[in-house]
Amino acid sequence: MAKDVKPTRKNLMEIEDRIELSERGHGTLEKKRDGLIMEFMDILDKAQDVRGDLADDYDEAQKKINMARAMEGDVAVRGAAAALQEHPEITTESKNIMGVVVPQIESSRVSKSLDERGYGIMGTSARIDEAAEAYEDLLESIILAAEVETAMKKMLREIETTKRRVNALEFKLLPELKDSQEYIEQKLEEQEREETFRLKKIKEKKEAEEAEEAAREAAEEAEATDEEDEDLDEVQPDTAAQSPTGN
Amino acid sequence: MNASGSNPESGTLGASNPEYVVGRVRSRRASLFADEDYRKLIRMGPSGIARFMEESEYEREINELGTRFSGVDLIEHALNRNLAKHFQDLLDWSEGRLYDLIARYLRKFDVWNLKTIIRGIYTDTDPEEYQTDLIRAGELDDRTLDRLMEADEIEDAIEMLSRTTYYEPLMAAYEEFEETGALVPLENALDRAFYERLLEDVSRPPGQEQPQEGPEARYIEFLQAEIDFRNARNALRLARSGADLDPASYYIEGGVLFEESELNRLVADYDELIDHIAENKRYGDRLSGALDRLRDADSLIQFEHAVDAALLQYSDTLSSIYPVSVSAVLSYILAKEREVENIRAIARGREVGLDESEIEEELVIL
Repeated sequence: MAKDVKPTRKNLMEIEDRIELSERGHGTLEKKRDGLIMEFMDILDKAQDVRGDLADDYDEAQKKINMARAMEGDVAVRGAAAALQEHPEITTESKNIMGVVVPQIESSRVSKSLDERGYGIMGTSARIDEAAEAYEDLLESIILAAEVETAMKKMLREIETTKRRVNALEFKLLPELKDSQEYIEQKLEEQEREETFRLKKIKEKKEAEEAEEAAREAAEEAEATDEEDEDLDEVQPDTAAQSPTGN
Repeated sequence: MNASGSNPESGTLGASNPEYVVGRVRSRRASLFADEDYRKLIRMGPSGIARFMEESEYEREINELGTRFSGVDLIEHALNRNLAKHFQDLLDWSEGRLYDLIARYLRKFDVWNLKTIIRGIYTDTDPEEYQTDLIRAGELDDRTLDRLMEADEIEDAIEMLSRTTYYEPLMAAYEEFEETGALVPLENALDRAFYERLLEDVSRPPGQEQPQEGPEARYIEFLQAEIDFRNARNALRLARSGADLDPASYYIEGGVLFEESELNRLVADYDELIDHIAENKRYGDRLSGALDRLRDADSLIQFEHAVDAALLQYSDTLSSIYPVSVSAVLSYILAKEREVENIRAIARGREVGLDESEIEEELVIL
């Protein structure tokens, strides 16, 4: 990349600006990545607890429904389940964790009291109640697990993206920009040196020319002076011959 | 269908035929599975249990239903159909007052069937899917049940019951059903109608002396136990649930364990409720073990288990005191029901992977 850049001062300034911006961005992204990892670790702990609870609740619900099916019969359990048409309601909202939008799942009408389960109380047994209750607990756990695990996945994706950005800045963009900067600086220095050298040469040449000129002029001057002297010499004898009589 | 929900030939106990019915019941009782049969069944898988049943009393039902069902579903439906056949026989054999006394107990299957049909209509389920869930052991005949299943609306089904004892309670509860959209009021109305009619005409109105001795007195005692145990189960369930429900609206009159007026107070205090049951002279001793466990445990299941066993024992004792009376028939009904429940528990238990000891714990065997 460095070789593609024109080694101009303008480009150097632009690259320096980009390096400054990238370094600032790199610092911010590193902080974001570290913050996200810390938040993720918290969510991970919660997710592990929720997973554990979910597995326990599932085992418990299975046990209860198995017992109810065994003791009350499949027909009675199916009948009790059929006595309810209403489904639990789930609403999702979102919250922001360090720029990551994660869902917040609210559920209603999952846990029900005895009179809300649809089946009559007088003709049923505690086995049906306990199976229904265990499944209500399981459903609550599933909803919580859905919320926590979705948040976890989103956080993980964001951490990956941020990490990639940090790495791209750290190992690709910034080194390339710095290479370019160095290249331009070297080129500019080289150009400067060349310029200086050129100027020096010009100056030397100019001085030489000037010296030559001066020499030539001096020579010419000297020559002219000599000629004048010769002329004077030729004129002087006549003058001398006339002057004693003249005085 | 018997339009009124009671025997057309209903009369006094003298007009009935307990000797004949008890004689036939005795032979039926002899063919019930024994303890060692249960022990064999516990070690079998569902297909082994079905084969075992095929070589027993349940042969006909297993063969009839074998093409439609398999595995534990086959066993459960065969058990229900066999139960219905036996109980229908009881109604066919009995006459007069005996018919009336048996029929009022078997109406719980009418209530079961009505609840199943109402749930089917409520959830808009094809009758084909739930008709095998019906246990045709009550008084409502097949034609009435089939017509009820064809109803599009619950209100239409209730109208079809206009000449039965279930009509008025259902109509009274229908308004609440319309308001809430939940089946609870209708189901409770049906169960209440069953329990309250159990003692109708049998127990004397206040002021008149109840029979103290004799088969009818024991029969009343048994029915009172049934009502008391149901009240106790419901009170404990309400107390445990902590729901803001009026216990009085789930109270069934006719028992001796609770007064309606004290139920609110007892349901509010779980320990006091258990103490109240434990201190009862009639049931305290029978249920003491289960009540002790109930104080520590979170689950009511063991208590319900103990109540079932106590009721079975109760009826068995009554039938031995008065062997030629309705008590012997009632004892057989309970024993047959228990057999069906035990076989079903073993088959379902094996299907869902319960181990032998867990299944054994759940069986009620005298």
